[in-house]
Amino acid sequence: MDTKTKDCKELLTEVIDTGLCTLCGACAGGCPYLVSYKGRIVLLDNCTLSEGQCYEYCPRTYTDMDAISQQVFGVPYSEDELGTTKEVLIARSTDAQITERAQYGGAVTTLLSLALAEGFIDSAIMTRTSDDKTPIAFLAQNAAEVLQGAGSNYMACPVLQSYNHLPKDSNHSLAIVAMPCQALALTKMKKEPPQNRPSIDNVKLVIGLFCTWALSPDGFHQFLRENLDLPQVKKFDIPPPPANRFDAYTSSGTISFPLEQIRKFTMPTCAYCLDMTSEFSDISVGSVEGIEGWNTVIIRTDVGAKLMEMAKAKGKLETDNLPPQNLAHLKEAALLKKKRALKEIVKRSGDKNNLLYVGLSPNLADKLLA
Amino acid sequence: MASIDIDAPGTSQLFIGNEAIARGALEAGIGFAAAYPGTPSSEIMGSLASIAKKMGIYAEWSINEKVAMEAAAGASFAGIRALASMKQNGVNVISDFLANLVMTGIGKAGLVLVSCDDPSAISSSNEQDTRPLAKWLDIPLVEPGSFQEAKDMTKWLFDLAEEIGTICILRSVTRIAHARGNVKLGKLPKKEQKAYFDQIHDLRNLMPTKFMTVPSALRHAFAHLKLDKARETFESSPFNYYLGPDKAELLIITCGSCWLYSQDAVKALKVEDKVGILKLGTLWPLPEKLIEEHLNKSRNILFVEEIDPFLERSVMEMVANLPEGSRRPTFYGKRSGHMNAYGELNPDLVIKAIASILSVGYQPRDIEYAKKAEETAKSYVPERMMTFCAGCPHRATFWAVKNALKLDGRDGLVTGDIGCYAMALGPAGFFQVRTMHCMGAGTGVASGLGKLGQFGFDQPVLAVVGDSTFYHATIPALINGIYNQSNFVLMILDNNATAMTGFQPHPGTGMTAMGEPTKVVSMEALCRSLGVHVEICDPFDLENSTETLLKMIADGSGPRVVIMRRECELVRGRKEKPPYKVHIDPDKCIGEACGCDSLCTRVFHCPGLIWDKKTGKSKIDEVICTGCGVCADICPQGAIIKEAA
Repeated sequence: MDTKTKDCKELLTEVIDTGLCTLCGACAGGCPYLVSYKGRIVLLDNCTLSEGQCYEYCPRTYTDMDAISQQVFGVPYSEDELGTTKEVLIARSTDAQITERAQYGGAVTTLLSLALAEGFIDSAIMTRTSDDKTPIAFLAQNAAEVLQGAGSNYMACPVLQSYNHLPKDSNHSLAIVAMPCQALALTKMKKEPPQNRPSIDNVKLVIGLFCTWALSPDGFHQFLRENLDLPQVKKFDIPPPPANRFDAYTSSGTISFPLEQIRKFTMPTCAYCLDMTSEFSDISVGSVEGIEGWNTVIIRTDVGAKLMEMAKAKGKLETDNLPPQNLAHLKEAALLKKKRALKEIVKRSGDKNNLLYVGLSPNLADKLLA
Repeated sequence: MASIDIDAPGTSQLFIGNEAIARGALEAGIGFAAAYPGTPSSEIMGSLASIAKKMGIYAEWSINEKVAMEAAAGASFAGIRALASMKQNGVNVISDFLANLVMTGIGKAGLVLVSCDDPSAISSSNEQDTRPLAKWLDIPLVEPGSFQEAKDMTKWLFDLAEEIGTICILRSVTRIAHARGNVKLGKLPKKEQKAYFDQIHDLRNLMPTKFMTVPSALRHAFAHLKLDKARETFESSPFNYYLGPDKAELLIITCGSCWLYSQDAVKALKVEDKVGILKLGTLWPLPEKLIEEHLNKSRNILFVEEIDPFLERSVMEMVANLPEGSRRPTFYGKRSGHMNAYGELNPDLVIKAIASILSVGYQPRDIEYAKKAEETAKSYVPERMMTFCAGCPHRATFWAVKNALKLDGRDGLVTGDIGCYAMALGPAGFFQVRTMHCMGAGTGVASGLGKLGQFGFDQPVLAVVGDSTFYHATIPALINGIYNQSNFVLMILDNNATAMTGFQPHPGTGMTAMGEPTKVVSMEALCRSLGVHVEICDPFDLENSTETLLKMIADGSGPRVVIMRRECELVRGRKEKPPYKVHIDPDKCIGEACGCDSLCTRVFHCPGLIWDKKTGKSKIDEVICTGCGVCADICPQGAIIKEAA
């Protein structure tokens, strides 16, 4: 695949109009031409520049995985199923107020609150579920606001647009809660610092979430409106396998849908995504199969390690080892996602040597395609 | 505008053609004038309205040309001389009434229609010649070839109309209407007028009376008799005359402004001894005997006339009817390609035609010098595209429309209409308007599109219309949409003026042509009374306007109305100081860089914004900027700063 940076027209023809767009928001809000609206990226006017930051930072345009891994971790792209890791463990918040609202262990909420309290960051860009149950990105600046973002929302949200919207001379020290595609985009920005956007050095902490796929905000929200009394819904959950269902918790009980019914609202781009555990974050967080109320936590960088140490030392998180069969399962699932994605990519490109946006070393590519 | 009511007969005044026509109507003793604004005719009513009260006459801006013509006819029926004036499109609008008026005839008092054509459609949607209509509907038509004639013909036409009992047309074009010349004044009548409608018709007695209140196909024959009478008069009219040798190598048959061009051309080529000019003022019915006489002057006839080959074909018809053995001249004109069949004429084009026919050379200046001059002119004149004025609310409106349609994502379109906002076909309005035809057409077209759902049509349809156009022609289409349940949004751009034609008042402005305050016909009250949902927005509030448009095009079936209300900047600017002082912070402006790409100068196109090539940044042109502050809201870097003035 062509490796050079191109313009917004190419972004449309290669990514947005072809179903590869993940709605990460990296291209949106940084200029007057690209904005996100109701689950779509919209081009409001023509831009005449031949090279755009929109194309450059998109996680679905050509990405040299080794180069960006060097940028963040100082090593080439890891062959490990879970990516570059320092430590894998399980954790849960010791704060009842957090665990009450948390999806699983409340690790993300706890870590952010701690980082804010310690002055390590002054704001966090994250999502919360709005009144109509769509996800909305916002800037949290204290523990109470972070708590508003507790709980999972399974629809895609262009979180990075909120980063682009900050004044370009702002000196917030930021944390961003990111999906794997968003963490990837942020890493591309760290490699080639953005112009006329807030400084990427302001981003002190990236907390990545595990992700198998995301749901299309437009299509899935219509399904929700048609099948649920939305004001009554308190929480959504997709419990880990073998549950195979989508749960909506309402004040009068839980309504479940077979996962098959929900799958058709998956964003088409997710079929081409290799990253299940947010490999380019400081800390990645997900659920624990078979152990309710806990998070799986992967520490990847010194920044992540320092924050986790602080959380343990201050008694904000209780931690434990991830049981070996859970780890094995996690690695299996992560590897399966990589293999499935590459298979789909090759099917789409029609050529084993054309992996579309994924720039892998031939060695690793062969291994994964075998 | 010069004062057309000067009481100084025998003196000369400098008038534009339209003022001369208005003066002619005054001298004819009219009591009633009605019109709808339309370039190049507007100054006729404009100048009449400004002195109407003083002169004891009545002048009105009617809601549209049809009503103007009908109202003027009403005055004629009641014994008051009346004038209706309009541009070529207005004549289309009144054609049904005219066709029937020709059958009824007019009242005791003369009725004159003045139609001003716009060759090259410099300020029109189409280029169209009024004269064939005279032939089509059997109406006498004249065309002045000078400013003096513009006055004299108008005055005389009222007499002719009364003599033969039918409406008469004076046709003018831009270069007579808007150019200036000396006009010798006549006397102004000082008599009281009394209006009374006394016609009683007897359907059993269809005698060829001049006026019968009911039209009848049986009266078609009488209409022809009236024309015959007019033709007789035309044969000896002082408005037709010949200039040139007894025997000419070339005879030019011409009329109107083309007579002036023809004289210029003959002089420039120095062929006065070879070329004769037959200038016709009375064009329909053709003064055939007069023309026949002059046909003997030359074997070669060149027709010089604006827009259609009207004289050309009429004379050819005439010649075809000449007795067997008559001489058939060689005709040159639009048919032969010697004169262009479209686009405005000028002396150079006539020179070219004559030179080609007579095979004479014409070199007005050194060729090298001419080339150099042309190059220099091109390089010094900056490229300026058609755009809205600085501070125009339409620019903001179409910015909101563009964004709303893009965000909506279903390929929505805007059907356009007639007014300043028609420029939204181009970059001025971000290419939003996709169709444009005539007054009220946008809503009619939208009404049709809005019924195509059964054929899979799901593109949002937005019909845009100005405030004056709304009253003129849009209401029937809106009612059609309601009655037939068509799905579209009607966006009315209410800038409280008929702006494109010169800020004439209309039913929404609360002022009449004669400067009297009057009832305001509220467009929102009217629409709401029809049961339509109406939203009113300030186009300068871009966020709210965009949001409202998105909501309107997303939900609801049947017509919905959005009124974008803000006064025309040129009107506001005369009354008030600029609301903001705007400047650009060069440190914040990133110009062509990623994150802007010169949005304000490259896309927004307000003439108050300048792109400075040297610094690579935008600047405010303090002379042109009107301080509306809208650009400050679109700058992605917050580099445009507006401070309350």
